[in-house]
Amino acid sequence: MFSETLRQSLDLSIFWEYRQTLLVGLLQNVYIFFASAALAMALAVVVGLARLSKRFWVRGLSTFYVELFRNTPEFVLLIWVYYVLPILLSRLLATQFNLSPFLAAVLGLGVAYSGFMSETVRAGIQAIPKGHREAGTALGMRDGAILRRIVLPQALRRMLPEMLSQLVSLFKATSIVSLIAVPDIMYQVSMVNVEQMRPLPLYTGAALLFCLVIISATQMIQILSERWRRRGWA
Amino acid sequence: MLDNFNRFVIPNLGLFMDGLTITVRICAIAFAMAVVMGAIACLIRLYVPVLRYFAIAYIEFSRATPIIVQLLWVNYVWPELFGFPKSVEWAGIIALAIQSSGYLAETFRSGIEGLARGQVEAGLAVGMTRAVAFRRIVAPQAVLVMAPSIINQFAVVVKASTLVSIIAIPDLMYDALKVVNQWFEPIEVLTSVAVLYILTIFALSATAKRVADHFRGKYGLDAQA
Repeated sequence: MFSETLRQSLDLSIFWEYRQTLLVGLLQNVYIFFASAALAMALAVVVGLARLSKRFWVRGLSTFYVELFRNTPEFVLLIWVYYVLPILLSRLLATQFNLSPFLAAVLGLGVAYSGFMSETVRAGIQAIPKGHREAGTALGMRDGAILRRIVLPQALRRMLPEMLSQLVSLFKATSIVSLIAVPDIMYQVSMVNVEQMRPLPLYTGAALLFCLVIISATQMIQILSERWRRRGWA
Repeated sequence: MLDNFNRFVIPNLGLFMDGLTITVRICAIAFAMAVVMGAIACLIRLYVPVLRYFAIAYIEFSRATPIIVQLLWVNYVWPELFGFPKSVEWAGIIALAIQSSGYLAETFRSGIEGLARGQVEAGLAVGMTRAVAFRRIVAPQAVLVMAPSIINQFAVVVKASTLVSIIAIPDLMYDALKVVNQWFEPIEVLTSVAVLYILTIFALSATAKRVADHFRGKYGLDAQA
């Protein structure tokens, strides 16, 4: 009995049968991942730098931002962005304002992860000894040039492992966009399940699929970034 | 806006409190299970060579699978495969526990491996058995170092618990979405519930930070990355 259900659960031929639909779904996850990762990292650099500002109100505002989004559940934020934000903006701008599920997903996940990532950025920048910046100043470099040529190249290398684990979490979090009706992989799996009523292989396969994607992607990035990281320590 | 707040949030406060009770209960049980499962997975990985790869596979699986996938998997596949869980609430608890146990196992491992080897050897040299050395020397120090990450993991469980509403567990998020779908007035309800979650989770992570600072000051531990 047990072995029969186990065999059914691991009979993943249904994935091959529906490969096109499921692949289109997985691509949605990948698109949302890249778009929200880009948004999150851009915001994280800005907020991370703002946390180190000399002006106290810039520090205060950015600390509030970080604490707010680090402590909000992604699902709550996603639902809020999808349902509440368009209404608020419509009232504010006095026009009809619509947010597609895809955009809401990118915005929600991007902002949610920018909170965590800005802490990584801040820690990475703080880890660079002050003397490096002072050396730049002594050579007559401007602040922007010091940041771009001295601080960031070193800080980025230090941030990589932590950033990588944030990105893994972000990719995992893309699975919740199905709940605001983005046709992603979990949405398609549910649709196939409605059609075929075979939850055993479908949900087992979905779990294994995520494992496969995440473990192989992290391994690959680690191997590819090894040389780039080493060059930084010379 | 205040009008809507009075109409949709205040009359449902009882409902939201019921939901919050379920959220707290699920998180507490799931976290307790996660600590036990994480400790077992970590100890097997470190000290039982025969089963080592099973532990690694379990840890990697639980960390590389999104919580929503685990929820659906435990909820739909487990009852047929293993004959339990019998209720959606237990399905939610087990899924949350699996997710967190993987992260906790890695936290425990780094706490144990971070200790200097010489300390265990010193214990053995004064005649302790390995088990006694682990209990009296390794465990107390490791727990101190790990305390902040363990509390943080509890905050992660609370955040992830918002998703159990999708398998129809009537937690806080479920009740909020129910009220929203009934009246379609999302602004006040969703914002209030979001604030409630944020305050709860902020309190937890602030506690974690205070615990970390306290131990750092008291035992002179290095800053944890």
